[in-house]
Amino acid sequence: MSKLKENFNDKKMTAVIILSCLGIVSMLADIFSYKKALWYIVLAGVAGAIVANLNEKSNAIIYDMLLTDNYAIWFSTLILALVLLWFMVSKDQYESGVYNSSDNYALILFATVGALILTSFSDLTMMFLGIEILSIPLFILAGSNKKDVSSNEASLKYFLAGAFASGILLFGITFIYGSTGTFKLDKIADWANAAGSNLPALFYTGILLVMVGLAFKVSAAPFHFWTPDVYQGSPMFVTAFMATIVKGAAFAGFFRLFYTSFTSASGSWALILSILIAATILTGNIIAVYQSSVKRMLAYSSIAQAGYILLTVLLSNQEAKYALLLYIASYGVSTITAFTVLYHVEKIKGTDTFESFTSLSQTHPLLSVVMTIAMLSLAGIPPTIGFFAKFYLFSSVLKSNTSYLWLIMVSVAGSLVSVYYYFRVIIAMYGQHEPIISSEKKQIPAFYNVLLLLLVCVIIILGMMPDVLMSIDNL
Amino acid sequence: MEQIIFIILSLAAIISALVVIFSNNPVYSVLSLVITFFSIAGHFVLLNAQFLAIVNVIVYAGAIMVLFLFVIMLLNLNKSSEPSAPLIMKVASSVAGGLLFITLLGALRQSEASAGLSGGNIGSVESLGRTLFTNFLFPFEVSSVLFLSAMIGAVMLGKKNLKDS
Amino acid sequence: MKDLFTNSLNGYILLSSLLFCIGVLGVLIRKNIIILFMSIELMLNAVNLLLAAFSVHHNNPDGQVFVFFIMAVAAAEITVGLAILVMIYRNTGSVSIDALKKLKW
Repeated sequence: MSKLKENFNDKKMTAVIILSCLGIVSMLADIFSYKKALWYIVLAGVAGAIVANLNEKSNAIIYDMLLTDNYAIWFSTLILALVLLWFMVSKDQYESGVYNSSDNYALILFATVGALILTSFSDLTMMFLGIEILSIPLFILAGSNKKDVSSNEASLKYFLAGAFASGILLFGITFIYGSTGTFKLDKIADWANAAGSNLPALFYTGILLVMVGLAFKVSAAPFHFWTPDVYQGSPMFVTAFMATIVKGAAFAGFFRLFYTSFTSASGSWALILSILIAATILTGNIIAVYQSSVKRMLAYSSIAQAGYILLTVLLSNQEAKYALLLYIASYGVSTITAFTVLYHVEKIKGTDTFESFTSLSQTHPLLSVVMTIAMLSLAGIPPTIGFFAKFYLFSSVLKSNTSYLWLIMVSVAGSLVSVYYYFRVIIAMYGQHEPIISSEKKQIPAFYNVLLLLLVCVIIILGMMPDVLMSIDNL
Repeated sequence: MEQIIFIILSLAAIISALVVIFSNNPVYSVLSLVITFFSIAGHFVLLNAQFLAIVNVIVYAGAIMVLFLFVIMLLNLNKSSEPSAPLIMKVASSVAGGLLFITLLGALRQSEASAGLSGGNIGSVESLGRTLFTNFLFPFEVSSVLFLSAMIGAVMLGKKNLKDS
Repeated sequence: MKDLFTNSLNGYILLSSLLFCIGVLGVLIRKNIIILFMSIELMLNAVNLLLAAFSVHHNNPDGQVFVFFIMAVAAAEITVGLAILVMIYRNTGSVSIDALKKLKW
């Protein structure tokens, strides 16, 4: 206990402690009947965690397990900001009475603890625990709509894919431990540097297995097959959480591991990773074209986006960190916006097909404008942040290594394909004019109108001046 | 002597593992999985990691397998009603598994001294306890979050909604 | 390579790889969800065995402590998995993956 207090006074890992306690508070809300106030408590707590996180003592080593460098602090802040946003937009779903908000919020908060660990680990033990703490609550949340068979199915498929991936990841970690004799990231890097080009096959196999395990988690092709089903079957805002926060944290961890430990062995994995990236971009974008459900389309688009984000791992240099931060921020905000609009459209029209967006511009002009901006941002069209994130990412790849020109060409071709399916939504909203059924005129609460406007402002303002994120020193 | 025990235990582990995945009756699978766990516990003893051996028996063979048996019993699953996968699927999977195995075999180090492994004192309760509560204190604490969320989850999925009753 | 069938490091790598691949094969070919779970347990046990062998090889207890964490996580994971299974059985009356075809696989 005294150690805990000492850490608290020392401003170490305060955000993790706050979120864990908040999770327990949320879990008990049913018993002590403060469920009505829970949303406000959670919101205040997460906001407090953001402030605490920004005040975190930098470069502190916590039990030799976490390292709060600038990378950790800024990615944690980004993740927490997205969580805060998530709690705001998901309010409606958890007030509808289908879900028990106190259990669900507790699980989300615990999953966030895992996400924070994934941004700041300095030991493979913590990476493994972080991934598990992030995944296990989500297996349950995917199935939180207990009566719905497709939600059950999503939960099971997510569980099987997740547990299988953990097994492969662990086997890889074992091989790395077997060749280096340590779990510490910096010691692994030292060992690899000392061994030079004379690395044993055991180490290479380990890296490869870890890469496959993590590729499962971030749903890169050919390990993506679970993603569309899980995303489609889960409740809408659980999908939004998976697509933004889980994915962002998994990428932050992926990059941290490969950047810290495996850069000197990059000759062995760079080629395989670049093939993986090309496959991911092509599969995601091409299959997305054939979807009829917008939710499933967004799932495939998230696979394609995972391909672009993996480019930063391939780069593994200082500039790639900025590209990663920018891309996760842009993708996270745009995706949450898109899912929020989709949630309301599905609530009004009853389905999530492209047809349900038909002539939305007449009944709900605001929703259509917001969805348009989100789609433009996902497609990477100016003046949104999505454009700048993509542009910065591609240019930094070309700047550091021109031999990846082919990969950039694949990415650009993928982006062009993606314009088609993102614009399908926009065309459905503005293109056709059909007679309007009066039941479809139901407006959404004013709170959401304000929130959605705010999100649009974020997307556009960040797109106008992305320097805000680029000005962080020494990420 | 140790080598003979090693070979016997390995054969027991591999054969019972094959029974687990090829048996039609889930109860047989569970029971042969228990045999696998016991032979792996035997391997731990051989490696002088007695504490892991005991924990392996208690946690896996004792707790997890009983949980499996309970679920099988409660849901009455002991009949084999499983449709079998198409042959081409089986062949493809076997090829994939075999390829994985060959890849993993590639990782064997050739130049390593071939002396048998027999650990010193590192597998004792004292040494492991010291490491767990000093170097690994933080992960130990953090894993409580994991257990809490697994508990909430199992209860949440298991209970009926209050409104239904 | 003579030491493959002895209790040397190579022997343990061979044995664990074999057990791991049997687990992977089980996940790929079986359709009964309970047996899928057992195959995943098999994979994790292969990892545990190999970690313990490496830990002895390096004369470093960290590997054996990691085995504890794997056991803890496996127990938590399988609890959740079985809860999901019971929930599915309640709704569909089956534990075969084929019963779940609502979403295109």
